[in-house]
Amino acid sequence: MSGGAAVVAVLVLCMSASVAVAQQADTASRTMPARPPGMSGMKGMQADSTARPMPALAPTPMNMPDMHGGAMTVPIPMPKGMVMMPGLVGLTPPVTPFLPGAGMDPLSLPAVKPSQVVRMQDGDTLDLAATLVRRSIKGHPYVMYGFNGEVPGPLIRVPQNATIIVRYHNRIDMPSTVHWHGVRLDNRYDGVPGVTQQPVAPGDSFVYKVHFPDAGIYWYHPHVREDIEQAMGLFGNMIVDSPDKNYYSAANTEQVLVLDDLLVNADTLIPYGTEAPDFALMGRVGNLLLVNGEPRYTLDVGQGEVVRFYLTNTASSRTYNLSFSGAPMKVLASDVSRFEREERVPSVVLAPAERYIVAVRFDRPGRYALVNAVQAINHFQGEFDAEVDTLGIVTVSPAVVAPDYGREFAALRDNAAVSRDIDRYRPYFDKAPDKRLTLTIQTNALPLATVQFMNVDTAYYAPVEWVDAMPDMNWLSTSTQVRWILRDDATGKENMDIDWHVKQGSVIKLRIYNDPKSFHPMQHPIHLHGQRMLVVARDGVATKNLVWKDTALIPVGSTVDLLIDASNPGAWMLHCHIAEHLGSGMMTVLHVDPPAGKGVGDSGR
Amino acid sequence: MSLSGALVRERARRLSHSRRCTRLPTTALAIGLLAIPWRGPDVGPFDIPLFSTATAPAAQGSARLIFAESPFGVAVTATGHARYDVRITASKLPAPTALGNFHAYVAWAVTPDLSQWQRLGPVTNGASVVGHVELDKFLLVISAESDSAPASHSGPTVLHGNSPSSWLQMFLAHTALFHGVTD
Repeated sequence: MSGGAAVVAVLVLCMSASVAVAQQADTASRTMPARPPGMSGMKGMQADSTARPMPALAPTPMNMPDMHGGAMTVPIPMPKGMVMMPGLVGLTPPVTPFLPGAGMDPLSLPAVKPSQVVRMQDGDTLDLAATLVRRSIKGHPYVMYGFNGEVPGPLIRVPQNATIIVRYHNRIDMPSTVHWHGVRLDNRYDGVPGVTQQPVAPGDSFVYKVHFPDAGIYWYHPHVREDIEQAMGLFGNMIVDSPDKNYYSAANTEQVLVLDDLLVNADTLIPYGTEAPDFALMGRVGNLLLVNGEPRYTLDVGQGEVVRFYLTNTASSRTYNLSFSGAPMKVLASDVSRFEREERVPSVVLAPAERYIVAVRFDRPGRYALVNAVQAINHFQGEFDAEVDTLGIVTVSPAVVAPDYGREFAALRDNAAVSRDIDRYRPYFDKAPDKRLTLTIQTNALPLATVQFMNVDTAYYAPVEWVDAMPDMNWLSTSTQVRWILRDDATGKENMDIDWHVKQGSVIKLRIYNDPKSFHPMQHPIHLHGQRMLVVARDGVATKNLVWKDTALIPVGSTVDLLIDASNPGAWMLHCHIAEHLGSGMMTVLHVDPPAGKGVGDSGR
Repeated sequence: MSLSGALVRERARRLSHSRRCTRLPTTALAIGLLAIPWRGPDVGPFDIPLFSTATAPAAQGSARLIFAESPFGVAVTATGHARYDVRITASKLPAPTALGNFHAYVAWAVTPDLSQWQRLGPVTNGASVVGHVELDKFLLVISAESDSAPASHSGPTVLHGNSPSSWLQMFLAHTALFHGVTD
């Protein structure tokens, strides 16, 4: 018997032995009352950004002919060469399956349109509607969501310091909101149900006033059941243009790439959980990688062309490592600002919700593949497997492009303005942390086979899990069984029980430690609403090239120091941006309190 | 609890378990696997306890992997391999000359099949930051050498350890972890 076969045999025995118990555990989990995931105790508020559809507004469970008794029976796709573990075969997540449109004929809906650029000026108004659309995935039509019938939604392009009005209309089958990710706007327009507004019911509207103080690339998405709404197509970008025409180094072309993935079988989308997010352990990682909503991105350029790519990761859980077949690339900016210095990079690592702006020069004719290349983990063989997905092709013609920006591209600019802006925060870099969080997890009533497998498998955790190598176990975990935790080291309080208040204008050092010894350690992209922050150190090593961020990746076992510029008053969410982790409670609120006599929303914006 | 002490206990526990496994029927092994809360070494995902050899039995050390400087949340190559700087802390290393015609200690990152030895840099008692590693799994070996920048490895090993990723193994194939590098 080969080593691999021996392992499989042992696992078969292990997991078969656990089937009966696992099924008991699963039965138990089905009877658990729905638990509001990590939502307890916020004074006067109940952050509902994630989990529970409001009773009267709950998504309608789908009625698919191949589903029985409300349980999910669609087999989930497994990685190549892997089969579902015997101890898990026949189990289903304890939720009712949901897909948009409740069994509507997709052909009755308008076909999705590609994103259109909407240029707006200060004071302009946009009507933005979340709607049902028809999308074709691998030749099969599906009912999905889109903003204004587009996926991605309209690309809103505004000058820096503009304020626009967005009249949002919810025309989907779930309550929703719009969150303006990364934008330091007035708190009341932040789009967080239970914190800054009530959810917008189907058929209702809400008016947002969005002010854009910082140049860069941002995105908008719902803050209700992101695991469904965002994943089904509700996302779009905003580009905020600096008045400085030379804000970024010169480029011939701009491209906005929205990265996303979907989990599909041959002819089905994998349904979502009605009552609670499934895939709660590591988030839903799709097996179909999309750029701007489509599986194959193409671009034609001339020889020597410099392309400025605006990259946004809107995937629920996947972290990308992108490159263009060795084409030279430099990173210019990230979430909320440019870097202090442009930097040559071999690839771009994007965690969920992060944005990076890069320049790439295609200096030779031919075809360049846009690839996501990662080292996946094969838990059965105990090996790393190189995994490369081609997301698109850039075709470079022999015709030499004009003007030639080769010289500018070769130079790496210092952005002195960024450094000057950061200078006033440097005295705080070495101060002791004001706040400390530990990232961890609690589980209950998971299938026994899952629990035992995690116990025997977890001798090693990768700092970043790039792919879902155990989707069967992941699928069967829901937010009723999994509670992801932000724990305040000072008080022991967790998630929404944490009651943090800081003064407007203060500079806060937040130290976050991602505990590697929990049941399932995993990286977490931590997002802070409405403020900007610097990653000043990782594992005690000071960052040399700073950039303002709103989302920071915290690898397993790492300690990351964030310096928060708490300048924008209000109640601001701090959460993991893996949609299913958020849906499993991994969130809190940072209150930035204005001076006495001045209210939130009096910022003049 | 010292890192090395913890790892020794962990190794002993696993070795005992491994030997037990070889004697028992597969079904019993399965039950055994189910019963054992196997949580891995009592060190983090960036820590490498180092073990001495008979060449320098008093030597002690540990290493820590630190993501190389990167504008991103982690440092990886275009192919997705993590890029680490290696920080080694060693003590009680004897003078290299005490071991023979040697004048320096040198750290190496070695592929698990021992086929490729990448020189990382010189190591002394105290803290030393040596070069980048971009290997998924590797052994960290410190050897006595004739100079601080030898072209190839030739001297005796004084300290060695496994990258944390080496704990990623087939369930029945932990021999590399238990035997490490032989002199």
